[in-house]
Amino acid sequence: MNCQDALKHLYEFLDKELTPEVEREVRAHLEKCRPCDDCFDFEEAFLAFLHARCRSRGAPPELKQRILSELFDE
Amino acid sequence: MAAQNPPSSPTPAAPAPPPKAGEERKAAFEKEALVHLDALYRVALRLTGNASDADDLVQETMLKAYRAWDQYQPGTNAKGWLLTILRHSFINEYRRRTRHPATVDLDAIEPFAVFENLQDEDPQGRFFDQIVDDEVLRAIDQLPEQFREAVVLSDVEGMSYEEVARILEVPIGTVKSRLFRARRLLQAKLYEYAVSNGYIKGSHA
Repeated sequence: MNCQDALKHLYEFLDKELTPEVEREVRAHLEKCRPCDDCFDFEEAFLAFLHARCRSRGAPPELKQRILSELFDE
Repeated sequence: MAAQNPPSSPTPAAPAPPPKAGEERKAAFEKEALVHLDALYRVALRLTGNASDADDLVQETMLKAYRAWDQYQPGTNAKGWLLTILRHSFINEYRRRTRHPATVDLDAIEPFAVFENLQDEDPQGRFFDQIVDDEVLRAIDQLPEQFREAVVLSDVEGMSYEEVARILEVPIGTVKSRLFRARRLLQAKLYEYAVSNGYIKGSHA
């Protein structure tokens, strides 16, 4: 696998959507290619950051109350 | 265990009456559906763009889901089922008055790879740590709707390509290409933000 092939699988790799076989090939490429490995690390950090930043807020407690009383208090 | 060697205790407690069907239904709904309230709310907020519409959309989704609860197969993907209901409600009732569907030519959007601009200065992307939640949410809200929903389901809610494809009713290949473009657009926006705030120098390409 060359750099172009590895980069084509970048997000599928990080999203764990590749077949084990292709995943192994990408991993093997990253072990011997520093620039690609750095790029994958950067993208991985970005996805982790995105996930963490967007989950701080959940539903307001009043909304839950509103739904519970709407559904269950006839 | 109560049967053998009954202790000389007073009369054993009467067994609880069997729960009525309505109570069972309620308990199942609470256990399988209401636990996803936060996820529904986060998605609703990104779709509608404001808290009051998000509240209404989530409430309506839960109401529809409860009415249709008999169609739900226990133990299957409740979150996906609920998000599908939510998205249909959004498209039918909210989108027209809250936001305009994307009119941009999505394929014409040329994503640029931030990493290439940063490999000397900040190859590990440490500048991300300085960007606050609100700025990230604002960047997501500026994405075209089709990109935004893919990012929210995948990156925020952690759903698989297959689940996202089912909810959005598009092929998996479409999910992949939307995610690719959406992520690169977000990176570019956040990169520009970080440069303009002096978190990174950036390269003036």
